Amino acid sequence: MTSSDDDAVELRAQIQQHLVETGNYERISNKLSQSLLDEGWIDLVKKATKEAIEDSTSINFFEILQKVEPEAVKMVSTKTKNEIMQQIKAFLCEIVDT
Amino acid sequence: MTVQHKTMPQVTILTMAEDIYYNLVTSIVQDIVSRATSQNQFLNARYPNNPTLNYDPNGKLDIYGRQKQQESSIYFRCNNCDRDISANRFAAHLERCMSRGGRRG
Repeated sequence: MTSSDDDAVELRAQIQQHLVETGNYERISNKLSQSLLDEGWIDLVKKATKEAIEDSTSINFFEILQKVEPEAVKMVSTKTKNEIMQQIKAFLCEIVDT
Repeated sequence: MTVQHKTMPQVTILTMAEDIYYNLVTSIVQDIVSRATSQNQFLNARYPNNPTLNYDPNGKLDIYGRQKQQESSIYFRCNNCDRDISANRFAAHLERCMSRGGRRG
């Protein structure tokens, strides 16, 4: 079980590296942040962060992150998510044998 | 480095894509949160009793929670003729005052 997990981790690292080297990672990342900005998600997350800071007594990065992160991931619109997933999947299909 | 010729069923392509997507989104979230927290920490350290700006849903009060001040009750001292001029008449006053300033000396 452990060896297959290691394989998966290694494979993921390889894919990430390949994504970066081909310049696709930057392209996808830019596209994602652009559409998140366009749909107002970035500002929603900023607002949620501000509220979380006001609610909690301390301003600890990890505490705030734990509150905000799960919510923020859910707030991404399905349209953006599908578009990005489509691009990643298309790239993965090109470079790996199924 | 090439990753070709690795066998990989369709499900793992999906999970791998989910993984990469999750990585991208969470790094953006972490970036936003870290900026917000450090900015807040800086503000709290720099201005320990920093009051929050007032918000009036009715649009009557300003950011300090005060009513609008009547402009006609404010006076400016005119440097040209040394008289107190009502704030909402100041521009009109200047037009006259500056043009005949020489006469008034």
